[in-house]
Amino acid sequence: MLKTPDWEMMIVWYFFLGGIAGGAYFTAAIADNFGGARDRAVAKVGYLLSLPLTLACGILLIADLGAPLRFLNMLGAFKFWNPMSIGAWGLGVFGLFSFVSSVLCFSASEQMVGLRRKLSLVGSIFGFFLAAYTGVLLSNTTLPFWGDSRLMGALFLASGASTGMAAISLIMFLSGTTAGEGWGKVKKADRYSMLIELVLLAVFLGLLGSAARPITSGQFAPLFWGGLVGVGLVIPLVLDFVGQRMKAVAAIAAVLVLVGGFVLRYVVLMSVQA
Amino acid sequence: MARTLAMFTDTSLCIGCRACQVACKQWNELGMEVPQWTGTYQNQVHFTDQTFRLVRFIEEPKPTGELAWLLMSDVCKHCAQAGCLEACPTGAIYRTQYGTVDINQDTCNGCRYCVSSCPFGVVAFNESTGTAKKCTFCNDRIHNGLGPACAKACPTESIQFGFRDELVPKAQKRVETLKGMGFKEAQLYGADSNGFLGGLNAFFLLLSKPGTYALPDAPKLPQRNVVADSLLSIGSAVLVGLGALLAFRERGQGGGDA
Repeated sequence: MLKTPDWEMMIVWYFFLGGIAGGAYFTAAIADNFGGARDRAVAKVGYLLSLPLTLACGILLIADLGAPLRFLNMLGAFKFWNPMSIGAWGLGVFGLFSFVSSVLCFSASEQMVGLRRKLSLVGSIFGFFLAAYTGVLLSNTTLPFWGDSRLMGALFLASGASTGMAAISLIMFLSGTTAGEGWGKVKKADRYSMLIELVLLAVFLGLLGSAARPITSGQFAPLFWGGLVGVGLVIPLVLDFVGQRMKAVAAIAAVLVLVGGFVLRYVVLMSVQA
Repeated sequence: MARTLAMFTDTSLCIGCRACQVACKQWNELGMEVPQWTGTYQNQVHFTDQTFRLVRFIEEPKPTGELAWLLMSDVCKHCAQAGCLEACPTGAIYRTQYGTVDINQDTCNGCRYCVSSCPFGVVAFNESTGTAKKCTFCNDRIHNGLGPACAKACPTESIQFGFRDELVPKAQKRVETLKGMGFKEAQLYGADSNGFLGGLNAFFLLLSKPGTYALPDAPKLPQRNVVADSLLSIGSAVLVGLGALLAFRERGQGGGDA
């Protein structure tokens, strides 16, 4: 007879937005450091997107506490083996990197751009961390399915990447900055991430076997198979390959990827606590 | 650290009077709750933020067709390797000098990670204080030379309080006596400090399999996979990072000179 922690909609949103923030940041860092000068538009969107999302993450986390005014107590201990503890620290440190990188986006000086690129290499480690740790947090509880899933962190990271990249491409589409090469590259990176996510999801389910039942059968199954696997992964991949030349189709695919990322967090959190 | 204190609950002596449950409520000032129908005399179904001691009433069909009436006063196990304590990010959950596990109500911020990390479903969240609650092993009493309220109130010595190293041999002897009397399934649960969770500081003598009492056969520390799961996540990060690198790299020229 186990108890569930009642982590509901605020935590679903936190996991979702934290994944996008982390994914957008490390995508920006890679575009900034390894892409060309024309990919800097991608980098800037990524950095600037990660900042408000990280802020929202912090607010959601604090608001969900039983005693929100005591949120700083999280920083009263540092337990490196405890995902909740290093998660609180990691979110804080990532926020700092996100802030500095965003500020540096407003400087055209080559020196500052150089600093931004170097800084983002370190910051991206925290970006990867933010996208993945929430999965490791769930997989180290006593609850069935969560505690049985060895690849939850790996899956959340791939989902963070695909949703982060989708969010960047969508913002570029909406702001009309899709003309350069950058947009095509971020869409390509997104396709790779989705493929990795799809493979990881298959291995995740294979390893879990019957332990995955809370999401693969029962009341959450339609949402999981339809919302995540179908709408969130397979359809956007098909749309991307079929409609590569049509930007509107690619933008629709990006929206679907975001929906899928939300559905993943929703079914994983709510199915065990239903 | 002082000598480890323990509670030994011998279910074979329990008469289901619930003096322990009431004493716990009184001493710890736990509030009234809406009763829950369980089909037996048991109330509540499980531990709550207002129920730290709970007498379980279990009817087990015997091979003869009769029912065995099993009674068990259940409580927080104060595990030597405690999932809740490892999960707590604020350090509010701590181990006392007597080896028991307590929650500092002044520093707990209500993240509820401990709730999902207890292998026995003991830790409960209190909406009005916004903090996690569970049996304190009557921390205030044991620091003043008194035993826990439940053990003090027990009229049959089903709940015994004392030093762990004295209680365990006593419990082992009791199992042998019961086996001699024909209770074939009599067994200790959590007495072995080399067993699961490093042993339980509130351990039990059961008259049937642990599952009959809604106890897991071999509870495990939830944090045992942190390293493996983290390494797999790093593997995923490398794959995703390589994918992005492949998409963004500039052919024929070094990384992005202006």
